Amino acid sequence: MTEAKKEIKVTGNERPKIGVYICHCGVNIGGVVSVPDLVEYTKTLPNVEVAQEYKFFCSDVGQKIIKEDIEAGLVNRVVVAACSPRMHEPTFRITCKEAGLNQFLFEMANIREHSTWVHMRDPEGAYEIAKDHIRMAVAKARELKPLEVQKVKVEPSCLIIGGGVAGMNAALDLATEGYKVYLIEKTPTIGGHMAQLDKTFPTMDCSSCILTPKMSEISREKNIELLTYSEVVEVSGFIGNFEVTILKKPHYVDQEKCTGCGVCVDYCPVVVGNEFELGLATRKAIYIPFPQAIPGQYTIDMDNCIKCGICARIDVCEPEAINFDDKPEYLKIKVGTIIVATGWDLYDPTELKQYGYGRYPNVITGLQMERLLSSFGPVIGKPVRPSDLKEPHSIAFLQCVGSRNFREGGNQYCSRVCCMYATKQARQYKEKHPDADIYIFYMDIRAFGKGYEEFYESAGQNYGINFMRGRIAEVIEDDDHNIIIRAEDTLLQQPIELTVNLFVLSCGLEPRADADIITSLLRIQRSADGFFLEAHPKLRPVDTLTEGIFIAGVAQGPKDIPDAVAQAKGAASSAAVLMSQGEVEIEPFFAVVRPERCIGCGMCVENCAYGAIELVEDKWFGTVAKINEALCKGCGACSGNCRCSAIDIIGFTGEQIFSIIMGGEL
Amino acid sequence: MSENVEKYIKRKVYKSTSSRIAQKFVDAGLEKIRACINCGTCTGSCPSGRRTAYRTRSAIRRALTGDESVLKDIDIWLCSTCYYCYERCPRDIPVTDMIIKLRNIAVEEGYILDSHFGLANDIFYATGHGVPATGENNKKWRDLRESYGLPPLPPTVHSYPEAVKECQELMNAVGFRKLLDNAAKLKEERAQAAKKDKEE
Amino acid sequence: MSEDYKWRYGFFLGCVIPNRYPMIEASIRNVFDYLGAELLDLPGASCCPAPGVFRAFHIPTWFVIAARNISIAEELGVSPITGCNGCYGTLRDAWYELEHDYDKKKEVNEYLAKIGRTYKGNFEPKHVIQAFYLDMGLDYLKDFIKLKFSDLKVAVHYGCHIVKPSEKRPWNGEYEAPRFLDEIVEITGAKSIDYKDKYMCCGAGGAVRTAVKEVAADFTREKLVNMRDAGVDIIINCCPFCHLQLDLGQVEVNNFYGDVIGEPFHIPVIYITQLLGVAFGMDPNLLGLIKNHELQGVSPFISIDPFLNIVKEQLI
Repeated sequence: MTEAKKEIKVTGNERPKIGVYICHCGVNIGGVVSVPDLVEYTKTLPNVEVAQEYKFFCSDVGQKIIKEDIEAGLVNRVVVAACSPRMHEPTFRITCKEAGLNQFLFEMANIREHSTWVHMRDPEGAYEIAKDHIRMAVAKARELKPLEVQKVKVEPSCLIIGGGVAGMNAALDLATEGYKVYLIEKTPTIGGHMAQLDKTFPTMDCSSCILTPKMSEISREKNIELLTYSEVVEVSGFIGNFEVTILKKPHYVDQEKCTGCGVCVDYCPVVVGNEFELGLATRKAIYIPFPQAIPGQYTIDMDNCIKCGICARIDVCEPEAINFDDKPEYLKIKVGTIIVATGWDLYDPTELKQYGYGRYPNVITGLQMERLLSSFGPVIGKPVRPSDLKEPHSIAFLQCVGSRNFREGGNQYCSRVCCMYATKQARQYKEKHPDADIYIFYMDIRAFGKGYEEFYESAGQNYGINFMRGRIAEVIEDDDHNIIIRAEDTLLQQPIELTVNLFVLSCGLEPRADADIITSLLRIQRSADGFFLEAHPKLRPVDTLTEGIFIAGVAQGPKDIPDAVAQAKGAASSAAVLMSQGEVEIEPFFAVVRPERCIGCGMCVENCAYGAIELVEDKWFGTVAKINEALCKGCGACSGNCRCSAIDIIGFTGEQIFSIIMGGEL
Repeated sequence: MSENVEKYIKRKVYKSTSSRIAQKFVDAGLEKIRACINCGTCTGSCPSGRRTAYRTRSAIRRALTGDESVLKDIDIWLCSTCYYCYERCPRDIPVTDMIIKLRNIAVEEGYILDSHFGLANDIFYATGHGVPATGENNKKWRDLRESYGLPPLPPTVHSYPEAVKECQELMNAVGFRKLLDNAAKLKEERAQAAKKDKEE
Repeated sequence: MSEDYKWRYGFFLGCVIPNRYPMIEASIRNVFDYLGAELLDLPGASCCPAPGVFRAFHIPTWFVIAARNISIAEELGVSPITGCNGCYGTLRDAWYELEHDYDKKKEVNEYLAKIGRTYKGNFEPKHVIQAFYLDMGLDYLKDFIKLKFSDLKVAVHYGCHIVKPSEKRPWNGEYEAPRFLDEIVEITGAKSIDYKDKYMCCGAGGAVRTAVKEVAADFTREKLVNMRDAGVDIIINCCPFCHLQLDLGQVEVNNFYGDVIGEPFHIPVIYITQLLGVAFGMDPNLLGLIKNHELQGVSPFISIDPFLNIVKEQLI
């Protein structure tokens, strides 16, 4: 980056000299409307000193054109008519800054997204709209005032929400770099869904064997404060300075005293369904989720506990760890950055009645199959079918259950892991039962990752797995609880009716059912598929639109383990970039009160979602509103509702907005 | 020609596709048909396909690629419109409606079974009912009605001759009469051509 | 509305009910009257037109004729009600589509204007079953039950168009395994027997019966085999075309497929209002259950005497 030139002093009071730079954006704009005509039009607008066109103003050459005009003193306000400000506003602000012009004397007219893209089939209409956008931007530019950026300190600590493989990896990276990490997990153990898996494709590593060492590393790492069985309940503050309230749910077992001996389990009389085993096994009311759970201390499930008190007996729990009076605790922490790694839920296929899940015992989900195959699962890795606990001789897998489904209740996206996990499960079963008949019913096999196509090829060639191209239409049950499958073999154009012993639904991944809570707590966005939205799909894949908050793993969209880990490391790195700088610039777009107009009605105090406004006594004007600039997000809720027009948002003042509306016709 | 040439040489290689039929769907606002990913859920759901040569997906595929023979096959008339394919299509294509539309196109081009033509022309157009109780042949049905204490003819078009006229006026205005006449003409032309071919 | 009636509908007869199975018409009229629901005639109503046949010939014709039929009920200020799944399919699909497509509705009205009619669309077309289950409710029906079957095994046949397309039907999107008809059957004490492919089509619809009777009969054969395997006494349905296909169809199945079915079929086919009327203690003559044996070659083609015997044994 070049050194900033000597700053050009602009007070905002001198005559505006506006330079308008209209970008062709290749053919994106220039292919729809005539840019030369726009230039001619722009020259007719008041205060426009320079109007120029160029193929790509975002290029070095394009930026140089703007800089030269600033440096030559031709212009003291810059308007670029091009793409979305989300894309290149930062670019052109730097251009202005480097040429010595205050970066807030810049305005962008989005004639691509708002005109030539959406109206590409109506060039004449698009041209008129582009003219309007340029006229509005010029009108606002006339009213622009120089502003100073604010700098805030960034706390060198990070909150990571979710203790699955993504959250764990982000936590370890940041902790190793020396940052304080709060790793918070809703359930009593870290490990996430990966702990439920048996082997991982395509390398066939044992999932636990690669995960559990990471889990113990987490528990040993001194920079990580592990908060399991905890949930975020409140988040306030802003980038660098988030204040977070965490609820530590009561374990009813003193986590300091519990030695994890497990004697209590033998005595507990309450047997309930085991969530970790997806209903394929039971657990007691006092439990740890699975043997390698971390932390290894026990928890009492109070929804099911009958409070018989047996576990609390001194002959059962020698360390006297049982505490029925345990209360929820609230912990307040301050962090500079937040990483959201909340993971996913499995699609529930019950509503797809044609597949019989929940109605026929021998229809199971892919994740249940994973538990059946797991060597520490309910049948120690020797899958049997639920109806008679016999080893199935024939198994059919159905792909895209709940995925690639454009009907109500389905997910339109591809879940990315199901093709591979089904192929992997099929291979695992074939390894132990070479005589078994295995069918995978698919629409397309998507083996896109490193080593995946090879894995798929081997499944056919070396294992004899039958890949059947056709989505199963319906299944019915025979008298022996076998599943009769109806489908079309689309390659033969032939309806088929096939009887199998076990039917596995390769269900897709879904956003967490409670993703809404995280959305509103953190004020981050979700995309149409329900997963958390990244700031830019290509160039800012781990950032959210709320600065200082990052996303990792399946919380952002379906991905396999390698991709989830890669993204976690990316999120950790992005968070570290902020924290290592120690401070960060924030835009000075906050509210200001004109005390002489304010009548102290307090409506703005109620309207402010960020708690940034309070009423104070002013010695000249009595009770007036006062803005805490650090908390203010510049949303404008106060300004829009102020009956006295006493509040302005810097950068979006009343004068500026009115000039936009009037389009310079004043 | 040698017997083996006739037996084995087919030279059936598609060298082009046509969007002629597909375009008719698009024009009718049914462009959804182009979203088909050939998953086979429709064919797999089809109770007719389990006993006939009717293949729902293939019919759609043939329409999309412009295989005109789909209009001539009796197969598309073997769909009982049970709507399973419609309900289950993962691309939310109203499949049954597409088959209905495909039949519309077939009729428009003169591909209609004699039995269906008779039903449309001699019965529905003529009486306003699809299953009538008028005429000497149907006396037993009028008697049956009376045996249950009902009037011999129901209070439908059967009892209101002007209502039959109303229906016919509507059918004329909307183009049904023209459609049937045209179908009859095309059918006749084809029959003549086939007869000529045979004679030669 | 006369004070004695709680509900009022316009009875859309269709074709098969009045012209081939008038016992269904008689039973619907008398059962509705018994339940306090008035059925008005729809003078000059035509074929709905059938959704799988006439719609398959020309969709625009199907729209305007359907709209004309609905407009007759509108003039009387009532919802059209039908006992036929096919008519229900047509009236309801046309109504639904016209409600969701303003241009279509305008176009249809331009045609109707030629005969001095208008389609407004403010009356929802209903099925007899919909009136029972949603308008009246099971509890209301239960109060009328005077006699209960102690052992009657019923094969319930829904047919297709009463549940599908599901987004145009009032059953909350349920189409794979609805229960409403089973629930109505079971208030009579009869037991609805689960049989293989219970929700499968009878085979008659969609112009198939007119095109190739043998194909339609093969659907029916499969259904009948599954029903017989489950050991049912009678078939209950709610559609005259299914009724015809399951009744006359048995004769055809016995004829076409005699060599593969073993014993010929002779399962009595009873329409839902006939079953309900019996449980309400109504006169079987009002329910079209007593056949005039002097008439030859008319419905029902399969004797319902076994059913009448069960009624005698269990109810009288």
